[in-house]
Amino acid sequence: MDGLVDNRAAEVPFAGIIAELLTTNLMQHREKLAVFRRMQGVVAIDLADIETAVTLDFQDGRLRIEAGIVGVPALIIRTTADRVTDLNTLRIVGGLPWCLDEAGRKVAAHLLRGRVRIAGMFAHPLLLTRLTTIMSVM
Amino acid sequence: MANYQAMTQEWLEAWKQKIAGSKEYQEIAKNWEGSVSIIVNPDPERGIPEAIYLFTDYWHGEVRDFLICDKAKAETAKFVMSGDYVRWKQVAKKEVDSTKALMQGKLKLKGDLTYVVRNIKTVNKVIDLLCEIDTVWPDGP
Repeated sequence: MDGLVDNRAAEVPFAGIIAELLTTNLMQHREKLAVFRRMQGVVAIDLADIETAVTLDFQDGRLRIEAGIVGVPALIIRTTADRVTDLNTLRIVGGLPWCLDEAGRKVAAHLLRGRVRIAGMFAHPLLLTRLTTIMSVM
Repeated sequence: MANYQAMTQEWLEAWKQKIAGSKEYQEIAKNWEGSVSIIVNPDPERGIPEAIYLFTDYWHGEVRDFLICDKAKAETAKFVMSGDYVRWKQVAKKEVDSTKALMQGKLKLKGDLTYVVRNIKTVNKVIDLLCEIDTVWPDGP
């Protein structure tokens, strides 16, 4: 798994958590590695409550993590630190996030009530689905 | 209601009893396996002259050993969480969310992070029950 994730935001604890979570997840679920290898695009995660943002740049089967929002990400996920982990608990069914169980309904409610906002979700559904797949720990 | 000195064996026992008596915990934690150590970094100015090591063990909704221990024992746990005294106090008083503290680097976790995220409801419930204990802190309220 060496070299899959290039964390250039080592000074940001949240970036370290993403890197560790993703690396462990890809080690434990080889099918997610195949999805990861196909990912192309830039995603930002902005946690305003802890004044932390990171940019995830997926290119050529690798991920580079940068501190802050860098460039013009295709997706920008804006939420809070205690809610961002809810996205990791989404189950993937048939290659898509499953919204009919408790975790799925919780995320759907976050989206409907604006507690989680995802800019670009309608323009880049494939990138969002793949991101959800590789970050899901279920 | 009894008050317990923070981070003593009696305090741990009170916490253990809270968890053991929670039907909600037993349901939420039915898949959890393994021990969690808590390391409280020294803070002499606040009455913590040296590090404190707490060992807690959980198994499918049951609670096992809850011990004040030494560093060697603490490091045998499946998960080791460490942080400054003030952070732990904030978590135990519900002033800071533990997930948030982890993401800010105020608390550190050693162990399989995916397992913790998968079982985050269990973790949050254990902390909620800790918050219900009437605790006397070494440096006051």
